[in-house]
Amino acid sequence: MTVTPMTVTPAPASAPVAEGDRAMVELQGVTKRYGEVDALKRVDLTIRKGEFVTLLGPSGSGKSTLLNLIAGMITPSSGRIVIDGRDATTLPTNQRGLGMVFQNYALMPHMTVFENIAFPLQVRHLPKDEIKRKVEQVLDLIQLGHVAGRRPRELSGGQQQRISLARCIVYNPALILMDEPLGALDKNLREQMQLEIKRLHADLGITMLYVTHDQDEALTMSDRIVLMNGGKIEQQGKPDELYFKPATVFSAEFIGSSNLIPGIVEAGGVSGLSLRTAIGTFPVPAADFAVSTGDKAMLLVRPENMTLTGGPGVTSVSGRIDDSILLGGVVRHFVRCKDQSTIIVQELNQPDRPIAKRGDEVRAGWPPAHARLLPPSVPH
Amino acid sequence: MNALFGSSRLSRNLIATAAWLCYVFLLLPSLIVIPISFGNPGQIEFPPRQFTLALYQQFFTDQAWWGSMVQSLLVATVTTMLTLVLAVPAAYALVRSQLPRRNLLRGLFMMPMLVPVIVLGLGLYLQFSNWGLLDTTTGLVLSHIMLTTPFIMVSVMSGLHHSDVSLETVASIMGASRPVIFFRVVLPQLKASIAVGALFAFLMSLDEVVVAYFLTGTKAMTLPVKMYSSIRWELTPVLAAVSTLLTLLSLLIALGIIALQRKTEANP
Ligand SMILES: Nc1ncnc2c1ncn2[C@@H]1O[C@H](COP(=O)(O)OP(=O)(O)O)[C@@H](O)[C@H]1O
Ligand SMILES: [Mg+2]
Repeated sequence: MTVTPMTVTPAPASAPVAEGDRAMVELQGVTKRYGEVDALKRVDLTIRKGEFVTLLGPSGSGKSTLLNLIAGMITPSSGRIVIDGRDATTLPTNQRGLGMVFQNYALMPHMTVFENIAFPLQVRHLPKDEIKRKVEQVLDLIQLGHVAGRRPRELSGGQQQRISLARCIVYNPALILMDEPLGALDKNLREQMQLEIKRLHADLGITMLYVTHDQDEALTMSDRIVLMNGGKIEQQGKPDELYFKPATVFSAEFIGSSNLIPGIVEAGGVSGLSLRTAIGTFPVPAADFAVSTGDKAMLLVRPENMTLTGGPGVTSVSGRIDDSILLGGVVRHFVRCKDQSTIIVQELNQPDRPIAKRGDEVRAGWPPAHARLLPPSVPH
Repeated sequence: MNALFGSSRLSRNLIATAAWLCYVFLLLPSLIVIPISFGNPGQIEFPPRQFTLALYQQFFTDQAWWGSMVQSLLVATVTTMLTLVLAVPAAYALVRSQLPRRNLLRGLFMMPMLVPVIVLGLGLYLQFSNWGLLDTTTGLVLSHIMLTTPFIMVSVMSGLHHSDVSLETVASIMGASRPVIFFRVVLPQLKASIAVGALFAFLMSLDEVVVAYFLTGTKAMTLPVKMYSSIRWELTPVLAAVSTLLTLLSLLIALGIIALQRKTEANP
């Protein structure tokens, strides 16, 4: 769907460059305790104006807690929350000037679509004709002008979620929070809505904080991904940083698929380091963290960086094909190594590709520069 | 249940028939007054040997009867409205707030439901006689508010438990204050449970006789009290007409309650 440029919002007229760097939200050492459980543990996080930040993490990692703290539905056990430059740690929810989109849409069942979108404007005591104009404009923007008079329950899930988005952007909040907003929609609709939300973000420049447990969604939409694990921030960065430079085993496993081979660091190789593992000793690139010979470490190689064809300068390990499955554009081979561990190799599917059969002896190889050394996983 | 009766259609029909027989048995004494009310104005007789509206004419022209009916309707209406103003916000606060002594407060509001009405009547009589509230409409309304509050609260609280809190949360995030949320988000969703509670309260106040008997004399006398005393002193056949009217009113209100409950079940 197309989105026409927005004129609804009297946005802070084309933000000057300096403003883009200013913090919209700042969490300083925020902890939230529920009885014995620490839902959040001393979290520091800054969200810049205009940014699209995604909180990604498994269920129970504290994503909703963080969002609810910013919204003011709960107060932190300790720490400080600053929104748009002012201390909002204990500011009542209705004075924070935020918007929020829920997974269950949370549209008022007793109001029409028009009344639902008009509600936040009425709360702000805007004159009637201005309310009408703004609501109509935003309904046009999401191309749902024809349902203005209907009740939410007469609409499909996707339409309801677009209405609840419209209800947010109509009053131009400083920040829009979204807690798994597409969780209730089916796959096709979800992908369509992801692009639409991204488009709205690009056009309107509203800061958005988005929660999901779906890595693809996070990779698709975000300027920056904040990966949460057990109430802490595991790692944050641009999508490609998280994908190509995971700092921990958790990050590597949560985003994308990964082959992880445990071993002991030894001297040798081009970078001066190699890893001795149960299936061989492999040269590794320089590590991002402090290592010395004799330390335990993990070798990460993404399946799509591996081949069965070999070539010059490729490190490889021998094994036997366990299974080989076709996933449309790519083929995924499961290679059983001599220590019975499995390595996944993913290759592009081409017409002249030699067919791998179960039981074939192969060598799974990768360019050493595409491997990555990680600290061994520490239990949380 | 199934183990005893099986689940055949026969046993289900038997149970339904038994239930209906019970209803009819319980209803019969009330229903018998209906034919009597259209009969001989001189004396109570069943079955009636003529059909006239004379008893209704008597009722509507006798100031004492007619006046107590108006008084009853007045007391029930005012009681219902004041109870709503008191009980709906109280129920909202009890369900949604994090008040430390919530359960204690809830118990306090529910108390009048547990105290025997006769004890309540006596207590109110003694207290109101000090305050000069005996035989006043004000006194009667105050005591009926006590009696009806728990019923409206129960109805509204169950409505609140079924309504979606995230609607209130989202309204608050959009900038709405507590009162705005209460009037524009909460109340519209509670319409049905408030109406059910209000109809119950109205009905309760309308045929409440024990407390009213304690508290009223000739000035503030309600219809049930008037009926009760006329049974004791004169046993006039007008009673049949009054009873029929009251039954009709109760029936209408009960149907209203059922219709409302159906509607809320259909689209919660
Ligand atoms: N109201 C609450 N009372 C007690 N524990 C809670 C409450 N809300 C969340 N938690 C706990 O806090 C942790 C984080 O929850 P949450 O933020 O909802 O995770 P997520 O949204 O990432 O799935 C979980 O262990 C959860 O059980
Ligand atoms: Mg959650």
